[in-house]
Amino acid sequence: MTAPLDAPGKTTEVSPEAVLAGAGVKAIQGRSLGQIAWMHLKRDKVALVGAGVIVLLIVIAIFAPLIVGLLGHPPNEFHQEMIDTSTMTPKGGTGISGEFLFGVEPVNGRDLFSRVIYGARISLLIAVLATLLSVVIGTVMGVMAGYFGGWVDTLISRTMDVFLAFPLLVFAMALVGVLGQFEKDLGVTGDTLRIGLLIFVIGFFNWPYIGRIIRGQTLSLREREFVDAARSLGARGPYILFREILPNLIAPILIYATLLIPTNVLFEAALSFLGVGIQAPTATWGGMLSQAVKFYNVPHFMFFPGMAIFITVLAFNLFGDGLRDALDPKSSR
Amino acid sequence: MNKRSALAFAAAGAALSLGLSACGGGGSETKPADGSSAAPAAADAFNAGLEAVFNPSDKKGGVLKMAISEDWDSIDPGDTYYALSWNLVRIYGRSLVTYTPAPGAEGRKLSPDLAENLGESSDGGKTWTYKLRAGLKFEDGTPITSKDVKYAVLRSMDKETLVNGPTYFNDWLDLPKDFKSVYKTPDVNTDSAIETPDDQTIVFHLKKAYGGFDNFAALPGTIPVPKDKDTGVKYREHPVASGPYKFDKVEAGKQYTLVRNEHWDPATDPIRKALPDSYEISLGVNADDLDNRILSGDLHIDLAGSGVQPAALGRVLGDPALKARADNPTGARTWYTSIVSDVAPLDNVECRKAVIYGADRVGLQNAYGGEFAGGDIATGLMPPSIGGWKKLDLYPTGTGDVEKAKAALAACGKPDGFETIMAYRADRPKEKATAESLQQALAKVGIKLELKGYPTGDYFALYAGKPDFVKKNGIGLATNGWGADWNDGFGFMSQIVDSRTIRESGGNYNISIKDKEIDAKIDQIFTETDVAKRDALWGEIDQRVMEQAYVLPSVWSKGVLVRPLGATNVFVTGAFDMYDYLNLGVQ
Amino acid sequence: MVTYIIRRLIGAVLMLVIVSMVTFSIFFVVPRIAGATSEDFASRYMGRSADAEMIAVTAEKLGFNDPIPVQYGRWISGVFVGSEFDTGATVEECPAPCFGYSFIKRQPVWPDLVDRIPVTLSLALGASVIWLLGGVATGVLSALRKGTIFDRAAMSIALAGVSLPIFFTGIVSLVIFSYGLGITAPGGSFTPFLENPVEWAYNLLLPWITLAFLSAAAYARLTRAGMLETMSEDYIRTARAKGMQESRVVVKHGLRAALTPILTIFGLDLGLLLGGAVLTESTFSLKGLGDYAVQAIVTNDLPKIMGVTMVAALFVVLASLIVDLLYAVVDPRVRLG
Repeated sequence: MTAPLDAPGKTTEVSPEAVLAGAGVKAIQGRSLGQIAWMHLKRDKVALVGAGVIVLLIVIAIFAPLIVGLLGHPPNEFHQEMIDTSTMTPKGGTGISGEFLFGVEPVNGRDLFSRVIYGARISLLIAVLATLLSVVIGTVMGVMAGYFGGWVDTLISRTMDVFLAFPLLVFAMALVGVLGQFEKDLGVTGDTLRIGLLIFVIGFFNWPYIGRIIRGQTLSLREREFVDAARSLGARGPYILFREILPNLIAPILIYATLLIPTNVLFEAALSFLGVGIQAPTATWGGMLSQAVKFYNVPHFMFFPGMAIFITVLAFNLFGDGLRDALDPKSSR
Repeated sequence: MNKRSALAFAAAGAALSLGLSACGGGGSETKPADGSSAAPAAADAFNAGLEAVFNPSDKKGGVLKMAISEDWDSIDPGDTYYALSWNLVRIYGRSLVTYTPAPGAEGRKLSPDLAENLGESSDGGKTWTYKLRAGLKFEDGTPITSKDVKYAVLRSMDKETLVNGPTYFNDWLDLPKDFKSVYKTPDVNTDSAIETPDDQTIVFHLKKAYGGFDNFAALPGTIPVPKDKDTGVKYREHPVASGPYKFDKVEAGKQYTLVRNEHWDPATDPIRKALPDSYEISLGVNADDLDNRILSGDLHIDLAGSGVQPAALGRVLGDPALKARADNPTGARTWYTSIVSDVAPLDNVECRKAVIYGADRVGLQNAYGGEFAGGDIATGLMPPSIGGWKKLDLYPTGTGDVEKAKAALAACGKPDGFETIMAYRADRPKEKATAESLQQALAKVGIKLELKGYPTGDYFALYAGKPDFVKKNGIGLATNGWGADWNDGFGFMSQIVDSRTIRESGGNYNISIKDKEIDAKIDQIFTETDVAKRDALWGEIDQRVMEQAYVLPSVWSKGVLVRPLGATNVFVTGAFDMYDYLNLGVQ
Repeated sequence: MVTYIIRRLIGAVLMLVIVSMVTFSIFFVVPRIAGATSEDFASRYMGRSADAEMIAVTAEKLGFNDPIPVQYGRWISGVFVGSEFDTGATVEECPAPCFGYSFIKRQPVWPDLVDRIPVTLSLALGASVIWLLGGVATGVLSALRKGTIFDRAAMSIALAGVSLPIFFTGIVSLVIFSYGLGITAPGGSFTPFLENPVEWAYNLLLPWITLAFLSAAAYARLTRAGMLETMSEDYIRTARAKGMQESRVVVKHGLRAALTPILTIFGLDLGLLLGGAVLTESTFSLKGLGDYAVQAIVTNDLPKIMGVTMVAALFVVLASLIVDLLYAVVDPRVRLG
């Protein structure tokens, strides 16, 4: 896994996360970054649309009960009267009507609209918190590795390599199962337990991606003139770390956090799709898709959760791209 | 029977459609036991293959193509416990007796196979004697003797090596104490259990009398195995054929091909037609693709025999031409939810009743696939095709009776309801749907369920089937299902209602029924020699189970099977409630 | 150079050892901490007739009572010298490399893996060729025509591509192209290459395209960004100033520099994919390593999970090793210290 970490400046370009990001990020320079960034962002219509959709999604997630109360039915409520009992499919094909905006699920007639809306809660909650976890671990580890160098760097870098060598999805699947046995010890059950587990597993396995970038950035920042200047002025380790280096890391952290969220949305959906996500009856997009596969003869069932995933991921990607362009004037657009 | 634990959405087909049972169970007058030539030919219509042979023919040749979306335990006759496998094994192996290849209830009757006649009992039903036919040979030409049958039975009892098969011989044969297994103690004399006075005769000695021993003799465990070819667990890499076909290619989990066994002599075998030249069996085929290929005629048989997938179901039932090709048998299988009487407050019968009253029975039927693919709403544990079955009417079968449930809760001292945990097999969509339906319905009467999915593979060994785990985790409800090993009370009920079969170490299929009265009735059954009285007692046990509300039955399972294009002698056998695999031919 | 290679080799081996230790701990140590007994491990390998005594015997026989390091040591030694398993009737050989023995299926894991590698290999290679060519070509064209309608359209599609889960696009394309129009093979179709290359390609076409679409999108974005960056470098200007043909400038100077990091990532992606394209395989019912892993997890067959994880890790480590070595050859800036 060790792409030549010894060649500073190259690090970011050879790391897999660049695949997600689309381009390498060089160390961020310049002053009044916030202003410049805002200036750029304002002009980037596409990114603004992405941001708008994100805000909308968050609002939907937070006010899900309200929205569903107005426009739908409780997400787990059965409407078997909507189902043809011989084929188990919705009467009239989809069941879409003013009452059921997205139609109903086969078998039990649950309101698809409500379930997609509630699915946003799980999806965003897990994706955002898992990202936060990755960012925290990744930043701490990356800064330590980059700043201290030597054996600390070696240890952390190798650890990251080990993490990156695991088949992530398989491992996460197995781990959710294994850790689920600790239910009694953790003192939580049901959705809380599962959400916690998923956040942990997804977040914990993704930190090396952020860690590598932060390490590379720290490494190159450490050699910069302004750090040298601070050092020659008598500044000590902690001061340099917190006042000189960390502020300069905020931009890449922000960018990669924004770009990690959609990956995690996909990750959570994949785990739910494979049957190891949140348990029944709680609605998740991936879980709905995995049920919908069996009922490919009623395509609306896969269409709505699929589109929900697509729109969410796309919005974060658009915004993340825009943010990168805005925060990193050197990256070409 | 652990019929197809690996096949998630099993709905076993079964012999008696409801219509048939209405005209009185055994009333079928279809005669010929020896095949289809004289049986009425069926027209192309819905359920045409249930009581008549569709497309009867004696034409030989062709390749019969079968497929299955998963895999089953083993092709080793001594190591298999799937109905589909018990059905299929008969094309390459011959047991002492077997099920008559005939449609409907007739298919449940036994015909002698290796043996000349059905078993002769003596010693009040404790000793059973079979005489083998003359001229029987294995695929390598060596003659089959009664010693090979004895060896096969004994080896199938080694549950450390061959873990999958049933345990009837272990439980009933009178074996010496120092006998461990044919592999560990090959020299121990086992004549107290099975004697082979000559090469044609085999005599079984039981610990206690049992009138239905022929059902044991029909188990694949009596298919002869030559001792010098037995390689323990590896025997499944090439079971030696005694039937008309032998294995040509064995690729575990992928493909089997069978070709004609030249040493099988039709003169020794009155029930088999042996029509196709070969069989091609593909495993691990995508389930939806499998359905589509059967519909298009590219494939003959879905080995699982449990019916089409949801997507194809819509197509088949929605298109009259396709529906005319479908059969919809009811299986000797019940899907139900155990109500665990060890876990408070379900230790109180009124609280258990509240669960049954509160359940949405239509919703549970839908969870299993509705009236065609799921089955009829079950009012008792025992399915209608089992002898001694009587219709019970203890609980309403509508969408949930809130008032009665609340009254029962009040009687139980829990007027405001209670909370408990419901276990289901996580990767079985139908069981998940069952749990969701119960959760919704019971919430209306104040019973709050927390749903917990467990892995299918360990469900009985480590979770729902392990008393310790169930109690410790407060699991009040656990959904599961059971199919008959054969169609009588013993074959269906004995493993799931007798509290003495429960082992603390786990692996129990009886999750909730611990009742002294039922145990006593079972003991009474074993001493009862009259079949009708025995059947009646099983019926009484069924009633007791429901009165005490130990289980909430969902459906007596049904499946929508699609008759193959271009295949002959197609009919549903009452023995396995799927197409009979013994005499299928290719047009 | 030689010392560098040796160092990296040792590193790779060490990495595999650590991965195997971590994997082993998660499946064999963590459940114990959660309270599982040796009998619990054993009971899942027993039929329903097992009583407590038989389970205890099996637990002992399968070595679940031994200290964890001993169990781990046995696993590792199996990989190199093979091992034997007492199945009751016979002692089963599990010849080296023994990546575990499935007590549920009574088979060594390795032959299963060998059996499934061609499926995953076919899927990964085919898809990766498509996405590499498609992605890079799109990226270069986009970069050269920056700001045109083509660029915008291509980049929009690319962005949509990276935002779609394969288990969605896969099923949708199956429903449309295979079950609806009938022009591609249905799910679960696979023919070995040597048996019939045409059928092999036909059967895999849909999974290839679906999988490639996702990655091609990412590569297109990456190539475009890389090209834009290199094309603004001084040496490109110099080359142009020399009067070099534009096409040569693009290919020889621009693309070459932009391609180096892409090839690196390609190597790593391919390594990951070879370890099992879990979602693609499960969507298209292909019996590859990823599907094997999922089945092993569903049936809780620990030796299988262990084996497939290790093989997947092996691919990743190998891929990164090869990439590193190639990199050292291609890019003189890399210090071989």
